[in-house]
Amino acid sequence: MCGINGIFAYHSAASVPKVAELIATREAMRVRGPDGFGEWWSADRRCGFGHRRLSIIDLSERASQPMASEDGRFVVVFNGEIYNSPQLRLELEADGARFRTTSDTEVLLHLFARHGADMVHRLRGMFAFAIWDGRRRALFLARDPYGIKPLYTANDGWTFRFASQVKALLAGGQVSRDPEPAGVVGFHVFGSVPEPFTLYREVRSLPAGHTQWVETDGPREPRPFSNLAEVLAKGADHPAPSAEIDERVRASVLDSVRAHLLADVEVGIFLSAGVDSGALLGAMRDAGLDKIRAITLAFEEFRNTSEDEAPLAARVCQHYRAHHIVRRLDEREFAQDLPAILEAMDQPSIDGVNVWFVSKAAKEAGLKVAISGLGGDELLGGYPSFIDLPRWHRRFGPLAAIPGIGLLARKLIGAVAPEFSRRVPKALGLMEYSGTWAGTYLLRRGLFLPHELPHVMGREMAHEGLRRLKPLRGIANNLTPDPCSDSSRVCAIESTQYLRNQLLRDADWAGMAHSLEIRVPLVDSTLLTALAPTIAALTPGVGKAALAKAPTEPVPSEIVTRAKSGFGVPTGAWMNDVLGKGSEPREFISESKGLVSRRWSRAVLNGAVPTSTQLELRAS
Amino acid sequence: MNSSPAMLALVTDAFGGRGGIAQYNRDFLGALADAEIMSSITVLPRQAPDPPVLPRTIVQMPPRSRRITYSLAALRAALFRRVDLVFCGHLFMAPLAVLIARLKGAKLIVQTHGIEAWGRPSRFQRAALEAADLVLSVSRHTRAAVLSWASIAPERVLVLPNTVRDVFTPGDGSTERAALGLEGKRVLLGVGRMDSRERYKGQDRVIAAIPDLVAKGLDVHYVVIGEGDDRARLERLARASGVSERVHFLGVVGLSELVDLYRMADLFVMPSTGEGFGVAFLEAMTCGTPVLGLDVAGARDALCDGELGQMVDEKEFRSALARMIANFGPDPEILAGAVRERFGRDRFANAVRSAILRPLEA
Repeated sequence: MCGINGIFAYHSAASVPKVAELIATREAMRVRGPDGFGEWWSADRRCGFGHRRLSIIDLSERASQPMASEDGRFVVVFNGEIYNSPQLRLELEADGARFRTTSDTEVLLHLFARHGADMVHRLRGMFAFAIWDGRRRALFLARDPYGIKPLYTANDGWTFRFASQVKALLAGGQVSRDPEPAGVVGFHVFGSVPEPFTLYREVRSLPAGHTQWVETDGPREPRPFSNLAEVLAKGADHPAPSAEIDERVRASVLDSVRAHLLADVEVGIFLSAGVDSGALLGAMRDAGLDKIRAITLAFEEFRNTSEDEAPLAARVCQHYRAHHIVRRLDEREFAQDLPAILEAMDQPSIDGVNVWFVSKAAKEAGLKVAISGLGGDELLGGYPSFIDLPRWHRRFGPLAAIPGIGLLARKLIGAVAPEFSRRVPKALGLMEYSGTWAGTYLLRRGLFLPHELPHVMGREMAHEGLRRLKPLRGIANNLTPDPCSDSSRVCAIESTQYLRNQLLRDADWAGMAHSLEIRVPLVDSTLLTALAPTIAALTPGVGKAALAKAPTEPVPSEIVTRAKSGFGVPTGAWMNDVLGKGSEPREFISESKGLVSRRWSRAVLNGAVPTSTQLELRAS
Repeated sequence: MNSSPAMLALVTDAFGGRGGIAQYNRDFLGALADAEIMSSITVLPRQAPDPPVLPRTIVQMPPRSRRITYSLAALRAALFRRVDLVFCGHLFMAPLAVLIARLKGAKLIVQTHGIEAWGRPSRFQRAALEAADLVLSVSRHTRAAVLSWASIAPERVLVLPNTVRDVFTPGDGSTERAALGLEGKRVLLGVGRMDSRERYKGQDRVIAAIPDLVAKGLDVHYVVIGEGDDRARLERLARASGVSERVHFLGVVGLSELVDLYRMADLFVMPSTGEGFGVAFLEAMTCGTPVLGLDVAGARDALCDGELGQMVDEKEFRSALARMIANFGPDPEILAGAVRERFGRDRFANAVRSAILRPLEA
């Protein structure tokens, strides 16, 4: 877990990159890697790498980065963890590779030397890395299948740059800040900026599960090496017998947790009162971990109420004999940290506040690594969308297929029931979007629907942004090939939209802001491949029940029962309070959570707590 | 592909043409012919006022200046020929080029130069460019402009800058200087079209700065090369500024005289705001003459962000001009070598070769 960056002046007309720029970008990522830093330049000084290190595996100086191969041909900068590096190392050693460190970074060098770009298929873990091939004079970039670790690139036509964060690239001073309408529109549609776009035209995300070559004649288009929908579709071809499902979940979750414990420092866990983190804690115990510290974020406002997760989390801790740390958060601290949160947010996101505070608590406890239950809802049908999407699509889809009916219905409802339209703006889009899975998802999850955007940001920006973003096509691409069952389709969409562009990104910036590596055993392609034949059967409720039974000592039944109804968080109300300061009328108290999120999104985009003049939300 | 591909090049002008775009097209097509990648290269120009001198493997059809006859000629040329690659030398022709590429199942390359690609083009032009397998831009600025209005993968838009011909080398300019009676003077040189509709080359900025330079005790003269309907205005400006005897309008000059003029000058100055690239900067520097331009648009590329040429904001132009004309420039051979290192013919030929192979490989 680190911050990486690099500059490659690939074009013969380009000037040699400035050391100061490399360092400025690297130092903008200081919190990502407080334990060390490094810098490397090719002999002709046309390619340079920077690295900020958070030491977790092989804490020695030998393992610092950028790291070169023994013959000097390959140089790597790497952010992430390769969980199968011990096995890969054994294979490589059997093949004659000689290792100088015990780090997974060196494994990447040997693998690349042997397999080239195909090496990515052998990696299990979260990764974003760049390898310089001195002989070929080319740069190779790769990012893990789920997109757990970020990697942003900027190409001005002469010089290629990359970094773990958008803000770090901008800090170098040579990357254009011209806006990308697709990024602005994407943020308003999804609540986070959908890859490959960012808010800036020149800066792109290397898409999850893609590699990219940059040669002396310029960058090549990124190429996919992994497709979640395809993994699910293949699984659906060979469905697992229902009798095997529980065992499959048990074995594969334990395997993933075991893999995710690889570290030379203590690994803790974020523990809520839900099934996912409880089961992971149980699996950590099964994996042989002795002393486990679990961090629970609880809200002062909920103390001694049924909404308080702390007592149930304590029950789980007791069950698995873990050391429990409860961190209470109140509105005052929320408001106090808000400027720092917005500052740390690499790209705007309407979420991430909870993970900020739980990471803060982990850091206070002295942890460098924490396991998180992120991804359980996507994999095991935990979201209401697993019920809503198929239902809406089936109920309204056939009607929505009638040409023109969507627009007609929208105009009609808008004219007949303007107040209803204002309070439930998405109802207007029901007939317009439910005809496809992608549209139904947009309807269910979208912050603003496309037809609302001209009112939010102006017609030209909205039109141009939608034209460039193509949101429906983007979602549909992530559903190709068709994963064949309702659960698999929703799993594929949620994993490639909400999880990828929002949750994982939030976990990255919020964790990194506290120099904390967040590990996500339920976001793992080996696990997905193992469970793909069962996903169709893991309908809402079934999946979580199977997960609860995964540890040798199952998750306590009261947790499973209570978790079904979910827990509230007061942060929505706090956001409202923050937004309400100033001269804004407080009429929106009764507004739905969705509308608060809309207002919040404007605040986040403004980059600060808004004044009434900044908050120009006309859509609500 | 079974055998070497065949190219149809739709251009405004190339062989027998005048001006920067014609030169670029000649350089591009010439480099392509030398690379021996294509089995044939057929060029259809809109204009060719001068007798064309063609490389051996290039066929250029007679020019068709009217849009309709040009389009028909292009379609006819495509129908009766093998076409694997369509090169579209100007954004205005991109809709026609994409039609031909579709008809023939050919790959499409669209070339973008300067101001024609900076504003938002017509919907048809935009759609045509977005359908291109490869877009070439002469500078980073033009590339960024294209990417601002086109929804196309950024990796498909490459910068292929102008190159500079081998004839531009450092040398002795004293004969030219004597012929113009400028011995012992500090000589500024400007080369560029004087177009009353564009007026971005900045000759007027230089003329307006001369009285200040003279007041500072500098015996400055400004030699202006080029023609156009804006010349009368510039001449009036020189008179009004009281410096008409210091401003020398030489009109259009031949290549060898141009080289000598570059060599003779103490400073090449082109405070232009509309350069797609600004090849004259390269010509001056490869003749060993220091250059001054503005930190605007494609000129940044020719000036290499200030590393080879001096690049300033508009408001600093006068002070930079005064500073540079009062001093001597870098070693001519070193300057020329540094420019060739980045923009020389070999670099250009390599870039053309690898660019053309990209869509063919895909």
